[in-house]
Amino acid sequence: MVDVSQHELVPEHTVLEDDVLEGVLSEYDIDRTDLPKIKRTDAALPDDAEAGDVVKIVRNSRTTDQAIIYRLVVE
Amino acid sequence: MTEVSYDVTDDMIAVVEDTDLPRRLKNNVYETLEARDDISIEDADAIAKAVEARYLDTRVDPLDPVGTVSAQSIGEPGTQLTMNTFHYAGVAEIDVTQGLPRLIELVDARKTPDTPMMTVYLEDEYATERERAHEVVWNLEATKILALGDVSTNVADMRVQISLNEDTLKERMITPEEVASIIEDNLGVSTIQQGTEIQFGPEEPSYRDLLQLVEELRDITFKGIEDISRVVIRREELEDGEEFVLYTEGSAFGDALEIEGVDASRTTCNNIHEIHRNLGIEAAREAIIEETNNTLAEQGLDDVNVRHLMLVADMMTNRGEIESIGRHGISGSKESVLARAAFEVTVNHLLNAAIHGEVDDLDGVTENVIVGKPIKLGTGDVDLRMGSTSSGSGSSQAD
Repeated sequence: MVDVSQHELVPEHTVLEDDVLEGVLSEYDIDRTDLPKIKRTDAALPDDAEAGDVVKIVRNSRTTDQAIIYRLVVE
Repeated sequence: MTEVSYDVTDDMIAVVEDTDLPRRLKNNVYETLEARDDISIEDADAIAKAVEARYLDTRVDPLDPVGTVSAQSIGEPGTQLTMNTFHYAGVAEIDVTQGLPRLIELVDARKTPDTPMMTVYLEDEYATERERAHEVVWNLEATKILALGDVSTNVADMRVQISLNEDTLKERMITPEEVASIIEDNLGVSTIQQGTEIQFGPEEPSYRDLLQLVEELRDITFKGIEDISRVVIRREELEDGEEFVLYTEGSAFGDALEIEGVDASRTTCNNIHEIHRNLGIEAAREAIIEETNNTLAEQGLDDVNVRHLMLVADMMTNRGEIESIGRHGISGSKESVLARAAFEVTVNHLLNAAIHGEVDDLDGVTENVIVGKPIKLGTGDVDLRMGSTSSGSGSSQAD
């Protein structure tokens, strides 16, 4: 099986801890359902991610050095 | 302190790092400082501050209609895109759709592009030796019977006769026995194989069945991937040496990544759905930006700011799957009935909304333009609230 995370188009995905998530949500003043979504079947998702988790994605941005975004895992 | 690889003093680093600039701009400032020898720390500070002020100035203001600005910024140059569907692209004489049709194909999120193609990078010795690169080519390119030998029909004996070309077989690494067994599996006939000669025929003598068998024989893929009709090898210059890169007509991204010798970290294709399926939504977003950007750049319209394309890609991938812009995608899934009706097929939307008793909260832009209320953007979303009781100096509060 090919290791998807090694592909240059795929940024790093990590599952966010609950307490860190609270900080993120209060910083932006949003609910977790307001976040962009990612399917649970997504090829780049870490194995331990379940629906309802939030993943942190560190993109190599074209406009700054690194951009951090969050996606909610959905069915 | 962050690592800085520029030849500047520690004081200057402190001054620049203190600003609220992204890394890339900081590096640009360092380059400028490095290029000027006789620069004082005050000058450096002034430069850094000026860049920071300009940077903060150019950021998007709250309530700025970024979507509208993006639409216009892509739309206007879009009028200059070529409307010609085809012509040969720069790389490897492979036909790829360009210009407006390609841009439409991307934002419509078509399931398969008009001209699917892959760029296959190779690993280690496969990338440097032509023979090894060819091994990958034979595993990719669909090999049909006509590429392996001659087919003739013997009507008198009701037999199909194939005489295989030994050199071609050796080159493509396939044996006559394999060819015979593939034919048996696919056509359900028993074959007689002797050396490079293979023959078979229909069970009952029938002229029609015989011709039918020949037709089916031509469609069998003996080696490689069915969807890939042609592969072109190109030698490309690198900073250190050169490497072989394969360009394919037709794409099968998932299958291609599994093939030995294929560099699964760089190989790409121009079908955003295949990228989504195999690499996930984030890679698809990246591919949409890359493809739209390249399409515009190809036509000399590379001055479209990449932020607009990033916004489009963000919208298309927001729900975890690729959605098209337009009636069947993003515009069609808007909350507001009036906004949907204003876009396309007005009557259908209004009728369905009436049947289902939908309510429009008038939160968006389009709805408010239709009913003639101020839109909630820019100054339209700012209310001024006056204090109801005057407390001596008559203070007022902006909300």
